[in-house]
Amino acid sequence: MNHDPLVRLLPLLEVRWPRVARAVALGTLTLVCAVGLAAAAAWLVARASQMPPVLVLSVAAVGVRAFGTGRAFFRYLERLASHDVALRGMAALRANLYERVAQGGGNVVALRRGDLLARVGGDVDDVGDVVVRALIPGAVAVVAGLGSVALVGVFLPTAGLVLLACLLLTGVLSPWLASRASASVELRGAAARGEVSARTLELLEDGQQLRVSGRLADRHAGLRAADARLAAATDDGARVSGVSAAIEAGAQTLAVLGCLLLGIPAALAGDLAATELAVVVLTPLAVFEVTTTLPAAAVQLRRSRAAARRLLELLPPSGPSAPAKAAPHAPGGVADEQSDGLSLVGVAAGWDDVPVVAAVDLTVRPGSVVALAGPSGAGKTTLLLTAAGLSAPVDGQVRGQGLFVAEDGHLFGTTLLENLRVARADITEAQAREALAAVGLTEWLAALPDGLGTPLGTGGTDVSGGERRRLLVARALLAPHRTLLVDEPAEHLDAASADALVEMLVALAHDTGRAVVVASHRLTPLGAADEVLLLGHDGTPGAPARVVARGTHADLLHEVPDYRWAVGQEAAPA
Amino acid sequence: MRRSEVKPLDPRLLRQVRAARSYVALTALLGVASAALVVVQAFAVAHALAPVVVAASPGGDGVVDQTAIVRWLVVLAGAAAGRAAVAWAQERYGRRAATRVVADLREQVVAHAVALGPRPPAGTRPAEVATLATRGLTDLEPYLVRFLPQLLLTAVVTPATVLVVLGLDWVSALIAVVTLPLVPFFMWLIGTMTAGTSERRLATVERLGAQVLDLVAGLPTLRAFGREIGPGARVRALGEASRRATMGTLRVAFLSGAVLELLTTLCVAIIAVGVGLRLVHGGIELVPALAVLVLAPEIFGPLKRVGSEFHASTDGLAATARAFGVLDTPAPSPGERPVPRAVGGTLVLDDVTVRAPRRHVDAPARLSARISLGTGEPGGGQVVALRGPSGSGKSTLVLLLLGLLRPDEGRVVLAQAEPADPVDLAEADAAGWWSQVAWVPQRPAIGPGTVHDVVTDGRQVPQESLDAAARTTGLDTVLADLTSGWQTPVGLGGVGLSVGQRQRVALARALVGAADRPVVVLDEPTAHLDARGEQVVLDTVRAWRDAGRTVVVVAHRASLMALADQVVDVEAREVVEV
Repeated sequence: MNHDPLVRLLPLLEVRWPRVARAVALGTLTLVCAVGLAAAAAWLVARASQMPPVLVLSVAAVGVRAFGTGRAFFRYLERLASHDVALRGMAALRANLYERVAQGGGNVVALRRGDLLARVGGDVDDVGDVVVRALIPGAVAVVAGLGSVALVGVFLPTAGLVLLACLLLTGVLSPWLASRASASVELRGAAARGEVSARTLELLEDGQQLRVSGRLADRHAGLRAADARLAAATDDGARVSGVSAAIEAGAQTLAVLGCLLLGIPAALAGDLAATELAVVVLTPLAVFEVTTTLPAAAVQLRRSRAAARRLLELLPPSGPSAPAKAAPHAPGGVADEQSDGLSLVGVAAGWDDVPVVAAVDLTVRPGSVVALAGPSGAGKTTLLLTAAGLSAPVDGQVRGQGLFVAEDGHLFGTTLLENLRVARADITEAQAREALAAVGLTEWLAALPDGLGTPLGTGGTDVSGGERRRLLVARALLAPHRTLLVDEPAEHLDAASADALVEMLVALAHDTGRAVVVASHRLTPLGAADEVLLLGHDGTPGAPARVVARGTHADLLHEVPDYRWAVGQEAAPA
Repeated sequence: MRRSEVKPLDPRLLRQVRAARSYVALTALLGVASAALVVVQAFAVAHALAPVVVAASPGGDGVVDQTAIVRWLVVLAGAAAGRAAVAWAQERYGRRAATRVVADLREQVVAHAVALGPRPPAGTRPAEVATLATRGLTDLEPYLVRFLPQLLLTAVVTPATVLVVLGLDWVSALIAVVTLPLVPFFMWLIGTMTAGTSERRLATVERLGAQVLDLVAGLPTLRAFGREIGPGARVRALGEASRRATMGTLRVAFLSGAVLELLTTLCVAIIAVGVGLRLVHGGIELVPALAVLVLAPEIFGPLKRVGSEFHASTDGLAATARAFGVLDTPAPSPGERPVPRAVGGTLVLDDVTVRAPRRHVDAPARLSARISLGTGEPGGGQVVALRGPSGSGKSTLVLLLLGLLRPDEGRVVLAQAEPADPVDLAEADAAGWWSQVAWVPQRPAIGPGTVHDVVTDGRQVPQESLDAAARTTGLDTVLADLTSGWQTPVGLGGVGLSVGQRQRVALARALVGAADRPVVVLDEPTAHLDARGEQVVLDTVRAWRDAGRTVVVVAHRASLMALADQVVDVEAREVVEV
């Protein structure tokens, strides 16, 4: 199995090779025109100096002009052709990545992180760029370079070899050095670059308090020092890339010199015609255009490979060509009617086999509500994700299926109705209105300019925090699932709206016969829940959180002093 | 039109960034050297080649002046070495200078953005400046390393080569001089004709891209509902539509490049054919003919490379323009009057009004109050609560008291019995005031350093005082979870702390630094804390008061309000347009 990430990712690009061949052919023709122009002009001038009848020159004159015109024409077509190949590849890659990640239970948890999402877009572009900036220029350089060597070699084989050697310098050594330099700058500069960014952000975000505390000058000095480290890393790389640039600039003249040294004796000995000597000497001046893009191509190739590696990490571990594996137990899906409700037996939940919360037993029946309480970091969200089947339990058993309702659930850039239809494709307008009414959004709906047809999300109507939470609950109610796992429904809401929302959820569970597990760091509204599990740490550093107390809200108020105190503090008037 | 405003080299860059000046000077110097080398190379090739061509031609005598040829070959070898050296120097020092210019500009932009105060105007807010100072200014590197040298080369090599060609063969020079202005003209023509179309298409491309990202962003939600399969086809369709729109843009965008290439190559071809035909009639010697042939492509070389690096220039220039947009935003001028001691003094708010940004509201509106500051002696402390509904201007008032913001109307004055003359904070030497104030904002800045360093702030503090402060502020429970306790590195490169943990560190720091910062300002200390964390704040505030310090606190909860010796009510008022 090939381990180059670019090669492994290649099937997902669905490259159509005839299109690639077409782009390479056009690129080669471009360079044929460039080299042909130089060779024909050299022949023309040398022949003209022998003062032949003008007619003898007419073919060469037409050739020179044709090459001069053709070059721009072919170049234009080549750029279009290679960009077309790249864009097709990017579109296919994006769609394939989406499908694999969606079906394959790939690293969706990683996708929850915003920065990663933004990076996927950039990485896809980088992998696509490899076509335009590396593969096609590389192939063109090989074909056109060897063609030029053959042209010169036909007249004087040794000169051909000199040209080949110089082309290897600029086409292989120089790109290799450039790539090595850029790799070292990126590797050594990455830490410095990260520090520069972090320090810049800190200065900008905390600048005012740093002024007051008198630490501003100190932090400015820190930024300057980090920038100096970055400059040093760049400088080291520039030492190598400087050599690469020097080779590139000197090799052309070197090739001309070599051809002169070999050509002059041959011409004087009569082995090489005067016109041929001019072609042999002057053609190399144009040939090196073939390799000018290669250092950048090598750098791009390395960058694209790194991007491909990151994209592969998103895919299921079996690799992109293997069939997608099923998730631990099918998440979502239409609920299994036999197992209404949900039970967790001795479940430990966490990431990469490290439990965040352990030894949780929990049963929730239709129409009842279990609340998870506890400080942030106690593993409430992790436990809910595990209960929803979106993350495999580290230990224990999950029976039943639930719908995870994330605190940051996504509103798509489409209409309100389509956003609700994410829950189920066949929702009617009446059902949508009913669900919105159940969460108290009737008035809000009436105030929308186009009712259910109003666009939401990016570029659409702004939705306030409270409305958004209610909307997410309404969408969950429309799904076929009988068990809802609701994460912090009241986060970032003021106390009154937060409590109202949790109480509404409890009421909905009782009215519609759904089983609900709700995680909340506010305790006051949990009075309506049937059972409260208080998660927390027992003080052992590094140990996973556990259920430190359980019972009804009233029980906990009565039995757990900390709980009573915390509820009392929440109740203090604002 | 926008095009006319864009200069290829922003003069402000040369004026304000020293590294940029020396870089441009070096690059110009190297440009002159490379122009000279181009000419030398052309002459060497022509002089070495021409006699051999003549000698080897039918009717030639097969004899050449070998020493002359060898001399020219040595010159050519020198030219090769020279070109390599120039390229090496350009790359070697170009990159170094580029990082320096970027670093210099970044430092200036960041320093100026901070000096603009807590309420900077649009375009200079922290998030915007952060994007500019990190990602945005990176765009300057390709501009400086690739575009600028080619631009200077065009300015040096192109005219120099034309002049040399003029000396060799005026007809060829004339052809080049006629072609050169056509290049910008045609590019401008195409640009004008296609500007509208490509902008519309670009908008389409961006919209399609946003839709794909929206679907990917919503993937966790779709997966939760088990509805993730369907949209794959939609992503594919959007990608296909995006490709078609992009190709439409490119077909237009590549046109100007093609015209540039066509004009320059055709010009070289015409010069070559012209020289050839005149050779036949003896209108030109072989040596100048060969030199012109070698030089002709060099006239246009830099120009073509400027064209191909054009996108680097637009990004780099845009970043430069935004950087100077920040630097040219006037910062409030610093005051100079010396500030009296805060201990035992009075802060007087005199009819203070601040217009809320982008709202027709004054918050606070016409606020007057006298805040007596603590004596600094145990038992002489003061707790001053700022009270009011959200949006009434409590946080703004904190910024006023800190002297970070100046009121639109009225004034904030620090008065002492001695000297009798009260000092307006707007005219005061801010550093003198800040050195007496400890501020614990909603999100305190921590580190870099160990917890110990951060809390002691570099002073000698006995461990017992530290432990006592940790107990009061609840920092002890945070330390218990950290592997290295007080010696755990935090901040940059250290352990990440939650907002609640940061706040405890900041509280401990303000508690330890008792004597030298007699005024403590707390902004919404309970907003992000759970019930336990709130108790910690109450304990800390009590400890400060017991030490004789003045605590100004934005209070939301009754528990905190109950501690207050003085309550300042803050109100907002809608602005009535007259």
